[in-house]
Amino acid sequence: MIYPIIGMAMGICIGIIMPDLSVSPDMAKLLATALLACLDSVFGGIRATLNKNFNNRMFLVGFFSNAFMAAIFVFVGLRLGIDLYFVVLITFGMRIFQNMARIRRKLLVYKPEK
Amino acid sequence: MRVQEGKIAITFACVLLGIMLVTQYKAAQSVLPVTSQRADELISKVRDLEADNKSLKKQISELGGDKDTQLQELRYDAGVLPVEGPGIIVTLDDSTQPKMQGTNPNLYIIHDEDLLRIVNELRAAGAEALSINGQRLIGTSEIRCVGPNININGKILSPPFEIKAIGDMHSLSGALNLRGGVKESLKYWGIELQIRKLEMIVVPAYEGAFRHEYARISKKEADNS
Repeated sequence: MIYPIIGMAMGICIGIIMPDLSVSPDMAKLLATALLACLDSVFGGIRATLNKNFNNRMFLVGFFSNAFMAAIFVFVGLRLGIDLYFVVLITFGMRIFQNMARIRRKLLVYKPEK
Repeated sequence: MRVQEGKIAITFACVLLGIMLVTQYKAAQSVLPVTSQRADELISKVRDLEADNKSLKKQISELGGDKDTQLQELRYDAGVLPVEGPGIIVTLDDSTQPKMQGTNPNLYIIHDEDLLRIVNELRAAGAEALSINGQRLIGTSEIRCVGPNININGKILSPPFEIKAIGDMHSLSGALNLRGGVKESLKYWGIELQIRKLEMIVVPAYEGAFRHEYARISKKEADNS
């Protein structure tokens, strides 16, 4: 369970040390939703490991395809003038909460057995 | 609790996540906060209130105020008085850049559209009085290409053009300097805009005639047909 946290910490450090990637304001929305999608797939991955369902390939492909789809949604939404951006936010937000609920359930069930 | 399966993949994903998080954070910090957009709304609100203020002042003078001030104000609004105030002077001349081979030489000279765009931007940015090469622009002033020269108020003018605008210096020059705006697109063809901000600019009065051939004062309410 520590590994995701260590990984995140490493990622944050790298991000801080790295020279500023200039992101244009239009790109900022895309990046934000891709970020949310990645967060969702990480939580999904954690839940899968707890459920012993984890499939390496599924996780990695899902990670990148989620991010890609989220970015596409937002991009198309910008071009069409519809706020598809919100659809992405709501969907992934909901999934994150669902995954967290399942993780919580799994963790709390396991604890007494220790 | 054994989480051997997928440890590496999840860690890798988390590293990426961390990097994206920081990048997004930096991007969000550098983007101007929404208050700058609100500033535009506020600016237009202020303009509306100023317009209301002015019409209310007129009503006051109509209800028995000083008749002379009313006449002066009307003349000021009509543009038949010279006005002075802070603003900018924009100078532009035909391009002296060597023409690119095979392109239409017409693209390198100043056209009425260019002047119209500049005037439009300045008006949108709140210019209260405008003149080009000494010709005051009023509501019926035309800016039209006539061969190599430009017709304004019936007078034929040739480059270099000096556009005087009285208003808020920073809004006026900002409007022209917008990215992707007039100055940039003219610069592409080598037409340079020189913008000078000054505290005191005198814009001459409109000296032409007013035609009343077709339009008469109407007693009817303005209808939206």
